Amino acid sequence: MIDPRRTDVAAIAEAQPEGIWLRLKPGTNIPLLNGMLHVIFKEGLQDDAFISARTENIDALRKHIADCTPDKTAEITGVPAEDIVKAARKYAQANNALILYGLGVAEHKGGTAGVMALANLVLATGHVGRPHNGIDPLRGQNNVQGACDMGTLPYTYPGYQATDDEKVLESFARAWGVDSLPTTEGLLEPQMYTKAIEGTFKGLYCVGYDPAQTQANIAHVHKALRALDFLVLQDMFMIETAKFAHVILPAASFYEKDGTFTSGERRVRRVNKALEAPGASKADWEIVCLLSQAMGYPMFYNHPEQIMGEISQLVPAYAGISYRYLDEIGQVWPVSASERHGTPLLHTKTFPRGKGHFVPVSYMLPEEDADKDFPLVLITGRRLEHYNNASMTTRCEGFDILSPEEHVEVHPVDCEALGIMDGDMVKVVSRRAVVKVRARVTRRSRPGTVFMSFHYQKTLTNFLTSPGMDTKTMTPEYKVCAVRLEK
Amino acid sequence: MGELYTIIIDGKEIQVSQGITILKAAQQAGIYIPTLCYLPEGEDSRRPCLLCMVEVAGSGRVRACSTEVAPGMQIETRTKELEAFRKERLQALADNHYGDCRAPCNLTCPGGINVQGYVNLVAKGEYEAALRLIKEKNPLPVSVGRVCPRFCETRCRRVLLDEAIAINHLKRFVADYALEHGYRERDIAPATGHKVAIVGGGPAGLSCAYYLRKLGHEVWIFEAAEKLGGLLRYGIPNFKLPDKALDKEIRSILELGIHVKTGKSWGEDFTLQDLRDDGFESIFLATGLSRQKPLEVEGGQLAIDGLKFLRRINTGSAPRIGKKVLIIGGGDIAVDAARSAKRLGAEDVTVIYPRSRVELPAHQRDIGEAEKEGVQFFLMAMPMRLFEVENGIKVEMARTILGEPNERGIRLPVPMPGSRLFWDGDTVISALGQEGDITFQSFGELEASIAVTPRKTIKAHPSTMKTSVSGIFAGGDAVSGSRTVIQAVAAGRRAAESIHEFLEKEKVGLIEPRFNFTKGKRFEDVDMHNFDGYSIRLNEIMPSRPPERRTQDFDEVALGFSEEMAVREAKRCLRCGCSGLSKCTYRELSIDYKVKTNKAPSRMRYKIDSSHPFIQVDPNKCIGCTRCERSCRYGALVLEIKEDPKTGTMQDVSIGLNEKCVSCGACVDACPTGALSKKAVIVPLLPSQVKPVKSVCTYCGTGCSLDLLVNYGSLIEVRADRKRPPNWGNLCVKGRFGYTFYRHKDRLTRPLIRDSIEEPFREVDWDEALRFTAARFMRIKEAYGADSLGILASSRCTNEENYLLQKLARGVWGTNNIDNCARV
Ligand code: SF4
Ligand code: SF4
Ligand code: SF4
Ligand code: FES
Repeated sequence: MIDPRRTDVAAIAEAQPEGIWLRLKPGTNIPLLNGMLHVIFKEGLQDDAFISARTENIDALRKHIADCTPDKTAEITGVPAEDIVKAARKYAQANNALILYGLGVAEHKGGTAGVMALANLVLATGHVGRPHNGIDPLRGQNNVQGACDMGTLPYTYPGYQATDDEKVLESFARAWGVDSLPTTEGLLEPQMYTKAIEGTFKGLYCVGYDPAQTQANIAHVHKALRALDFLVLQDMFMIETAKFAHVILPAASFYEKDGTFTSGERRVRRVNKALEAPGASKADWEIVCLLSQAMGYPMFYNHPEQIMGEISQLVPAYAGISYRYLDEIGQVWPVSASERHGTPLLHTKTFPRGKGHFVPVSYMLPEEDADKDFPLVLITGRRLEHYNNASMTTRCEGFDILSPEEHVEVHPVDCEALGIMDGDMVKVVSRRAVVKVRARVTRRSRPGTVFMSFHYQKTLTNFLTSPGMDTKTMTPEYKVCAVRLEK
Repeated sequence: MGELYTIIIDGKEIQVSQGITILKAAQQAGIYIPTLCYLPEGEDSRRPCLLCMVEVAGSGRVRACSTEVAPGMQIETRTKELEAFRKERLQALADNHYGDCRAPCNLTCPGGINVQGYVNLVAKGEYEAALRLIKEKNPLPVSVGRVCPRFCETRCRRVLLDEAIAINHLKRFVADYALEHGYRERDIAPATGHKVAIVGGGPAGLSCAYYLRKLGHEVWIFEAAEKLGGLLRYGIPNFKLPDKALDKEIRSILELGIHVKTGKSWGEDFTLQDLRDDGFESIFLATGLSRQKPLEVEGGQLAIDGLKFLRRINTGSAPRIGKKVLIIGGGDIAVDAARSAKRLGAEDVTVIYPRSRVELPAHQRDIGEAEKEGVQFFLMAMPMRLFEVENGIKVEMARTILGEPNERGIRLPVPMPGSRLFWDGDTVISALGQEGDITFQSFGELEASIAVTPRKTIKAHPSTMKTSVSGIFAGGDAVSGSRTVIQAVAAGRRAAESIHEFLEKEKVGLIEPRFNFTKGKRFEDVDMHNFDGYSIRLNEIMPSRPPERRTQDFDEVALGFSEEMAVREAKRCLRCGCSGLSKCTYRELSIDYKVKTNKAPSRMRYKIDSSHPFIQVDPNKCIGCTRCERSCRYGALVLEIKEDPKTGTMQDVSIGLNEKCVSCGACVDACPTGALSKKAVIVPLLPSQVKPVKSVCTYCGTGCSLDLLVNYGSLIEVRADRKRPPNWGNLCVKGRFGYTFYRHKDRLTRPLIRDSIEEPFREVDWDEALRFTAARFMRIKEAYGADSLGILASSRCTNEENYLLQKLARGVWGTNNIDNCARV
């Protein structure tokens, strides 16, 4: 387990005789992983057969990590050298090894690079393409996989088909019965905010998402939302973003509609309607159809099953997916048109690009780090009891008892230095804002780092978070920002 | 795959693979062996329940759940001895078991309504679900909610703490609320092609029509009067049940597609043979009672018939009654007549009744209301003779005493010797109660063959409603004699179920086993420690019009609860019935093995612990199977059981959830009783009443399989299926408990719009919201181009929705500005 915090899983690892918990300094994923690679190569634990058959660019990598010795790595990451060695051996020598990673890898300035560092580890040891091996991103939301599969990204059409591929455009245009499709590059969410402030982005339709609470550095987001001419929000509740909206369209919950979600293992699963939507609220797909019709484009479907029919025509990986075969356990994409169950195991013989390419990656400093004025690092994240902006979980019976309000987790050592007692109201101050919250003294936090979640509308943690972003995907750097605590 | 063995279970030869248990082998062969402590894929219990014991030839009794098959094994699972042994084991547990399977209110309701269920749905604001639940047993809640004598409330345990829950007022609230808010019936079965005639459009007839129609039959109601409703319309005054409310209720039933012929009188306009000739395969007789017991004293004919009196008022032709009125009788009709007389302008209204106050058959609540309105009750007196005098009537009366017991031991009131009193006034109304009428036997041959009772009612089987003639059923007052509306409604429902069975040869309706653990049938048996820790909270008072105002007209007296009052009242419910009911394997087995509950303890041994946010712990119901302990992966459930060293029976149990608990709820779903139950499960249902809708959790990208247990349009609880990937029965706190948001009052239910974000929102309909939205987006697009627009889709929405959103952006708007919240 690699985590700066003693999370529930870290505690389990710690408690097991064979478990290892690497408590690194926030933001030092890449040096730690490079350090592990160093050990693997130094001790000859790599899978040479796999490397020569399935990968390329190994020499560049070996050179790159040549001096990432355990001692040096320990210095940067704060993890004891012997633990690094132990973990590297364990991973490399295991018959089967699976890497599960969470947002603690992605939500850094060097997020993409961090994922590549993990991929290097996988390729070097050949832990891929067999059952019980591989690498799996744990998704923070239920349908991250599916949303991306369906092309709600500015740079791809459904099924990761490029927006500038003539053939792709042609087939979509034909299927949709339109003359042309846009050829200009689309904006990523953070770019939309920048353009809104600049005054060239004017109208936003926001569905089932609460950027005003859950985006990082939300003062900036609020400014952008306020600058819009027109904002339409579609949701179940009056969430924070509603404050900036001109229209609110009431949406059904997932108990109240049919459809499919795709889980992190690419398993497409059927969501079955169990209840009627309350009042006049409607399923999101129905609302999109109605809005499209109101704007003059005839979008009619009787049931999500029909929509899936259209998707399977246009997305090769979903070609064999059909409500008839989804039954109780779903289908794992890619599913060819003639198949039923799909492909639970990928990369058995080759990778999509052919050979696996080692990409040497280096430690990327976060946007800001602890310093004299802001001596602590704030990590933000989730708590087991709540889900994102918690518009659902805070409205469930029992959760108000379990986890009624936000608190900042501080290590006893830091508390003592600052004279903070458990339960004190403190001010968490970053370069951008001050947020008042109760302190909880806990050894879950690493000394020098504090933790807050972004679940509570009453305590908008994201006023504090950093403007830093992953250089490629523009994923915000939720995991590191410099703060100080004041009484 | 290991070797294949051939074994014999209960004489059946089967092939099984090596290494599996006898239990698994039996399951594969479709042979059922009872288990209680067995946890699939889990470790073995330290306190085996031994229910799975089977007989293996050569080695005697073994535990099927933990014994592996061997080649050639011969196994018996159901010998007499084994069955007796199982029964004994279960009985021993029963002698230690303290709880209420079903709430006393549920058990008392003649309609069999799941009272606890709907009261608690009201508490959560799920009014439509509450109504659907009620309608499962009673399609006339608007009426019953106003006139029911409330059997349930008389058994409500809250009386032991402060006051009974105002259950019937809640029923009325739910019915009125839902009808006002556009409640629509759903789920009508496809047409069966069968035609059924119902004679009589009163409560029994309407109820029968409703259920038959829902089962898909073609239903015709034949009613002699001008309108449907029977006693509800013609016998109950408007100030108790206004026509408007009744009309709405009847309309909601007829909307299902029921044919009605009013003004058609049995015997005059048609005979039963005619109906048969018209293709009606079955007939339900629900004619009620239209005849009153005559006043058998000299001059009795001078009195107006009470029922006719009410009927005339209800049809708008009230008779002139003068200022001084005497009512003879003490039932509902007498009291209703008295209160109606007040409203017709009588100043002096007296009810005369030969027994004491507590013996008045009318409902005490109505008597109280009548007194508030100025009606007087002259008790222990009876009329002897009526005679006309100038400008009115004179009545000679006598005070009564109780006579010698008759052959049935009943002491009838008789005139006190020498007592002689006089009353004089304008009108005398006689309301001595209704009686049977068998003149129908002369209508035709078929009619003549219908058996009747000495009480001049139709003879019908009390549960199947069958008469002596095949295909003809009867129910309601015409069978039972004068009873309450809810009893007629129940008879109508039972008749519908049995007519369906007659027509389709298929059983319908819920079979509710009579088996029941109870904390005390009588109030005095209930351990008062059950109420420890509760504080007193009295009833909501039904708002009603003041007596001096309401006697001026026939408008409704009781105004109904407001939503706030209803919710407050419903929250008083103590939830007596066991919320583990739907998962209680122990109860199912006890029913199968005819276990007796009469030796169950009558005292509470352990405090119920509600300190966990989601889980209620009631060790009084623990059977010591240890499934909970074995299903907790966090070492959080601490189960301590002290046993009697000799017999092994449980002597002391403690169940604790410690600080390691992550609220995953695995233990609750593993517990085969209500010892561990979910606080959010508010509707106690039988196992057969919860059907899982298969779905997928929405709280993270793992995509755990969920079983959503729904009924009445309410999500009762969430469980996980042990047989489905990727979670194989496991869930986290959010998946298992985080579902009640769907009914939260904050849910947005109407589109909202505003011109600028400085203004408040306006509620609008979809048309307006869509027009407004489309126009504003179009205007921006025209002025600044498609790339000035964008969409943020959601990684919480479905694939289909995300697909449509990018289609909208690219295909309709013409921009690639589409992104989703995957980064958050
Ligand atoms: S645990 Fe089972 S048997 Fe006991 S009261 Fe509850 S439902 Fe009845
Ligand atoms: S809820 Fe889960 S963690 Fe808590 S005691 Fe039950 S099984 Fe254990
Ligand atoms: S609490 Fe339930 S699961 Fe646990 S031992 Fe008692 S009856 Fe069994
Ligand atoms: S001992 Fe086998 S199921 Fe209990």
